[in-house]
Amino acid sequence: MTGRAPFYRTWPMWLIIGATISFLYMPLVPALLLSVRGEGAEDFTFRWFYELWHIPLVLKALRATAMIALLVGLIAPILGLLAALSIRELRLPRLILLIMLLPLFIPGVSMGLACAFLFRLLDVPPSLLTITIVQVLWALPFATLIILTIMSTVDPVYLEAAYLSGASRWRAFCDIELPLIAPGVFGAISFSVIISVNETVRTSVVQGAWNTIPTYIWSTYKQIGLSPALYALMALVILLTVALAGFYLLLNRPKRPAKVPAITQASEM
Amino acid sequence: MHKFDRINRRDALYLGLTGLLASAALHVPQSRAAGTINFADIGVGDPGGDWSKFTAATGYGVNLVSMGNAPSAVLNVLVAGGGQGTYDIINIVGGMQKPLVENDLVVPIDTSRIPNWSKDTYIEEFLGKGKPGFQFIGLNDKIYGVPTVLQGDSFAYLPEKTGPLDSYAALFDPKWKGYVALEDNYTTAGQKTGLYLKKAGLATINNPDDMTKGEFKTVIDFLIEQKKAGQFRVIWNSFEQAVNLITSKEVYVIDCWEPMVFVAKSKGVNAVYADPKEGYLLWAMAAYLVNNPSRTEEQTAAAYGLLDFMLGGWYGAKITGLRGYMTNPQAPEYAKSNSAEFSAEDAKKVEEITANVRRKFQQGGTWQNRWPTEVEFYESEWARFKAA
Amino acid sequence: MQWARRAWPRVTRAGLLSLPVIFVLAFLVLPLCLTIVISFWERVGMKFRPALSLASYAAIIEGARLQVLQRSMIVAVEATALSLLIAYPIAYFLARKAQPHAARVVLVLFTIPFLINYIVRNVAWTSLLGRNGTINDILSAFGLIDAPLDWLLYSDFAVFVGLISSYMPFMIFPLVLSIGAIDKQYLEASALLGARPATTFLRIVIPLSLPGIFAALIFGFVGSFGESAVPIIMGGVGYELVGNTITSSMDVLNYPLAAALSSIVVIIMLLLMLSWYFIFDMRAFLGKVLQWRGS
Repeated sequence: MTGRAPFYRTWPMWLIIGATISFLYMPLVPALLLSVRGEGAEDFTFRWFYELWHIPLVLKALRATAMIALLVGLIAPILGLLAALSIRELRLPRLILLIMLLPLFIPGVSMGLACAFLFRLLDVPPSLLTITIVQVLWALPFATLIILTIMSTVDPVYLEAAYLSGASRWRAFCDIELPLIAPGVFGAISFSVIISVNETVRTSVVQGAWNTIPTYIWSTYKQIGLSPALYALMALVILLTVALAGFYLLLNRPKRPAKVPAITQASEM
Repeated sequence: MHKFDRINRRDALYLGLTGLLASAALHVPQSRAAGTINFADIGVGDPGGDWSKFTAATGYGVNLVSMGNAPSAVLNVLVAGGGQGTYDIINIVGGMQKPLVENDLVVPIDTSRIPNWSKDTYIEEFLGKGKPGFQFIGLNDKIYGVPTVLQGDSFAYLPEKTGPLDSYAALFDPKWKGYVALEDNYTTAGQKTGLYLKKAGLATINNPDDMTKGEFKTVIDFLIEQKKAGQFRVIWNSFEQAVNLITSKEVYVIDCWEPMVFVAKSKGVNAVYADPKEGYLLWAMAAYLVNNPSRTEEQTAAAYGLLDFMLGGWYGAKITGLRGYMTNPQAPEYAKSNSAEFSAEDAKKVEEITANVRRKFQQGGTWQNRWPTEVEFYESEWARFKAA
Repeated sequence: MQWARRAWPRVTRAGLLSLPVIFVLAFLVLPLCLTIVISFWERVGMKFRPALSLASYAAIIEGARLQVLQRSMIVAVEATALSLLIAYPIAYFLARKAQPHAARVVLVLFTIPFLINYIVRNVAWTSLLGRNGTINDILSAFGLIDAPLDWLLYSDFAVFVGLISSYMPFMIFPLVLSIGAIDKQYLEASALLGARPATTFLRIVIPLSLPGIFAALIFGFVGSFGESAVPIIMGGVGYELVGNTITSSMDVLNYPLAAALSSIVVIIMLLLMLSWYFIFDMRAFLGKVLQWRGS
């Protein structure tokens, strides 16, 4: 691998990167610490996590967040997949990509406000669906880019082979491409879930009376102050995000180009 | 084999799954049939999640939904599609009758259906018709809100750093320059400043609770001057932030709410809520009955039951203990006589708080005005203050 | 109806494929146009009604809000520039010098703080930067300062810390993409022709990564300009940026004003985005990521 220096040679740069990462993660530490700090005599306790389950508002927000995350994790990657395909298949790749990346350029408040106006005018009441729509909008560019990236790693030779064997475009996609990009699709799913579980600004504008975990934390912070149980909730969010990110990393490990079993199937048709 | 066989099946599976999930997601979890009252509250009215006493007495459960205190939050809950059909009672800081009534969002309260109303002497004493407090619960001689909580606000300080303080002048005292914090709210910070300026003779203000454009401009000019001199460390707008400012001793004098002092004390920081000679900023919570023509008679009766419950002894004692506000006269006696539910310590606390707040009301001050006549002007002036 | 049966799959296909675009157009582009329209409406008590009035824009220009817009722009530009200075070397290193696997892990590590919601992220800064906070404690323990530093929190510094820590990680990605896309033959050629590494860097790498730099600047600017949480939590006395003004207008139900402010912000962003689109060839930006079928 030309140009890539070995680890020990580049340690000053790694030091800087390490410092930057510590700087970025530093604010997360107090939340984690406070979530397990004991009261009075005890130093360390998991009590707050247990207490969380007994706060009815938290449970409601948890349920809402779970349902929305499920929906977003399904809808955004599917739309992202379709978008990636449309960039490849339809005539206007740059325009489509631009439109798909649009949500990245709109500040959260503006996006939420715009959607709220739309729903208001159409007389659509705030519901989990409105929240889902806003979050899908935000997750869409990421999902699209992830799937686009992995699609580019698929050597077109496999698809060509499929077409040569008589498969229709659709068939080739299902049997050849989909299995190859599956890790990317699952990566897009986990990324979308991360985004959904953490999304606050856009959600808070269209949520009406519904609460998700992040908006619940925000409104409690503003109105009655945080408590150790809330810190436990924050710790859970952090841990979930890290776990999903780890999952994403695992899925998108570099793989050696493997023999694709589907090719043999395609040739049998 | 037909080209579309597998696709159709897979498609159907996908669609079915999504449809199932979508319908599950859209299914509104709150059931109206099984006797539940939908109660939107800003966090103050929640007695720790325990409505069992009410349910035992009436058979109705209470579904508490938390909402913000800003006018937009109220709008979101009530107007933004279907809110009127979903909620029975909203419990917010009073004084919002004008916009609510103008938009047909709430209905007048029939106080004869609330037995505890007449037992709550505070209502007549402080919020009776003709008295300034009436604007918290009524409009045009009709009652719209049930005052479940009453309180007088001032400011907090750290006595070890400042010694005893007894006037709002402390907020503007150059001695504490850079160690003062104000609330980001023109109806509290703005009005307290108005009260101070009037009593100190620094400005001609007729009614701090409904200032004219010119009067409020004077207040803002004064605040901007102070801000430019570096008097304020921060303008806070979250409960947690205010508590942190006290417990971390980031500021010594802070315009805030009394519960924050309680929380700070519980964290071991000695903070005192001041008794300023100019008086207090008085306010009351008001539980409004949402206007819903299609609500059944039973549901409305149950809602009245909840309103009555909130003016009762157990609820009052619970809220006083949890939040530090005064509720109703029955609360201290209830706490004392029900040692099974309230420890002697709790009962004493309830009694002390109630006595303290009563004293504040008797001293008087100015009633917080949540929807001043010149509210738009207040808004833009406050924005001018923040941007300066 | 034979043609219908043959055309049907193509119609479904076109329909399916355009679904995402239609979704974005319907739920983002259309609502944004709606926002612009509403900015000309009038406010009436708790609601607003159709009209053609410049009242909201007048309010913005005459009042303090113009100042807020100006300040937001300046702060956003400065924060973005600083973030770029930090992000570029890191991106360069990750794209060209580091082992690819390690680089990938590091990139994911950078994404996480960006994705975690801002309350969890920012709340802790106050306890770190306050007068009696961790950093002041450490500094005085080492005898480096006599009195706690005031300017760490509730100041411009704090807002920059908040903005940079929020958006700098996100800026690393477009930079990595475009730097990684530079064909190494150019670099080798430059070295062969006798250029020193510094010259190669200045005259080859930076110009070729310009699309990524531009993208990074836009992402950073979009984030900082529209940010509403950082100023609330870490700004000083009523440190107000555009995002806050929009939320405060919404809080008092002045939706046409919020719409006007939002429209101004969005139009600025769109202008930036369009200039990026037309100046740079997006294929160069995405580099290896995209393979254009048939082209």
